[in-house]
Amino acid sequence: MSGNEKLFFLSAAEQGRLMRDRKLSPVELVRACLERIERYDGILRAYITVCGEQAMAQAKQAEREIAAGRYRGPLHGIPFGVKDQLCTKGIKTTLGSRIMADHVPDHDAAVIERLNAAGAILIGKENLHEFGKGGTNVFPYGQPRNPWNPAHHPAGSSSGSGIAPAAGFSSGSLGEDTGGSVRSPAAANGIVGLRPTFGRVSRYGSVMYGWTADTLGPLTRTVEDNAIFLRAIAGHDPRDPLSSTRPVPDYAAALRPDLRGLTLAVVREMTWPDGVHAEVRRAMEAALDVLRQLGATVKEVSLKLAKHSVPLQLLTSDSDIASMMLKRWLRTRWDDFDVGTRTRLAAGCLIPATVYHRAMRARALVRREILETLSGCDALLCPANLNPPGRIEAAREQVDTPEDMDQKVLLRRISTYPFSMANIPAIALPMGYAKNELPVSLQVAAKPFDENTVFRVAHAYERATSWHQRHPDLARTLHQAAA
Amino acid sequence: MMLTRDQVQVLAAAVDLEIPEQDLDNVTIRVAALLSAMENIEAELGQDMDAVEPLPPVFPREDF
Repeated sequence: MSGNEKLFFLSAAEQGRLMRDRKLSPVELVRACLERIERYDGILRAYITVCGEQAMAQAKQAEREIAAGRYRGPLHGIPFGVKDQLCTKGIKTTLGSRIMADHVPDHDAAVIERLNAAGAILIGKENLHEFGKGGTNVFPYGQPRNPWNPAHHPAGSSSGSGIAPAAGFSSGSLGEDTGGSVRSPAAANGIVGLRPTFGRVSRYGSVMYGWTADTLGPLTRTVEDNAIFLRAIAGHDPRDPLSSTRPVPDYAAALRPDLRGLTLAVVREMTWPDGVHAEVRRAMEAALDVLRQLGATVKEVSLKLAKHSVPLQLLTSDSDIASMMLKRWLRTRWDDFDVGTRTRLAAGCLIPATVYHRAMRARALVRREILETLSGCDALLCPANLNPPGRIEAAREQVDTPEDMDQKVLLRRISTYPFSMANIPAIALPMGYAKNELPVSLQVAAKPFDENTVFRVAHAYERATSWHQRHPDLARTLHQAAA
Repeated sequence: MMLTRDQVQVLAAAVDLEIPEQDLDNVTIRVAALLSAMENIEAELGQDMDAVEPLPPVFPREDF
């Protein structure tokens, strides 16, 4: 790995320490990231908009401030990207849709304001499944590709937000997770992605129509970085009436290398279901051994209602979103949507209100079962993805038969949706690589607002393994793809 | 649940949505699958669902 490669793949925390000590210039890092994006993103398509000039100007300002002794903290001078679902003042925000191609907001999302205040540098707006829905077949701003093997998908819907930190384009990203849209791309790209507790992070200024489940969370190369980003964006915001007034802990300061005294519970239905890939199963068994060696007690639990999570979320959150899209665009701009988006939204439009409300009651039962189970342990465990990321064409959600609906839409989401339904914090982090060098991922979930336990388990596991030290060799993988 | 293309078109018309022919099968499969799933959930959990209120997305009183 070259010197520049080492720079790109340092953790954000380490980059920040070097900047604090004036051993690394924000200008040097941002310029290097922009050059790397220029070199490789024509294939990977992590970004819809790259904010080069603005980022360089901010980097120069950060450099001046740090030199003058006005160091703002661990994100000062750190380049980040955001899913193009988060509004940015004066910068195009497309939602990954042709329909929003000319949308330029007049305000920043609350999380952007907070990262700006922390001195972080917005480097670009990241590619996504259309309107943050999974299931896009044709991406209007380019097909996002997995940096470990560009013939494979990077998952979604925060696709670019997963690609960018993994490829060394930025030091971290912000994504949006309704059912698994942060955790799935984190898993597919071999990085760390957190869905925080609902209410932990303000949703203000983002396009968040799935109002009972939408959350914003960081995607980073290490757990410590994730903790740093979360602390920067979390906290009450009166503009989001559902944001919590609870104090925000210093998550990074609470990280520990051991798990003594913790009881971790493997969720049977989400870990060993029919269809789990043999290499995921082996990686999960090995991960459990590591967690035991770190001092945790590991047991197995059953969440019998978890299997209902995917249809319940589609019946409810999809309907919430569809209700916002019908009048604005679905009636008049049908052909401008991708077929996966428009058919999914149309289905959401046609769910009767009586069914919707019964589904909301069923969601309460699913959530109750999860919370009751968490009363007997500190955290729940399962893989974040049941299969390593597949080839792009095989993963497209083309629904031609009822079997397609089962296999391509419902079953593949079982590993992330239950925790979304409970609105609890859940993190995905690397737990190995398949023989084809594509990542597999561990998921850790805990009680509401107990992000500290999620981070503690994930950090201890990460430090006891070396998966986070692997990075895609873009010169090799993209050259092979071109050949 | 069995749904026909005609039934889906009627449902769509009720919300003033016209689904083009080329997407009608796709939408029909999706709606039928979701309503079928809900039938199964009702069969398994219906009584318990009667006893709970719909989900609030936040945690106003719980001891966490």
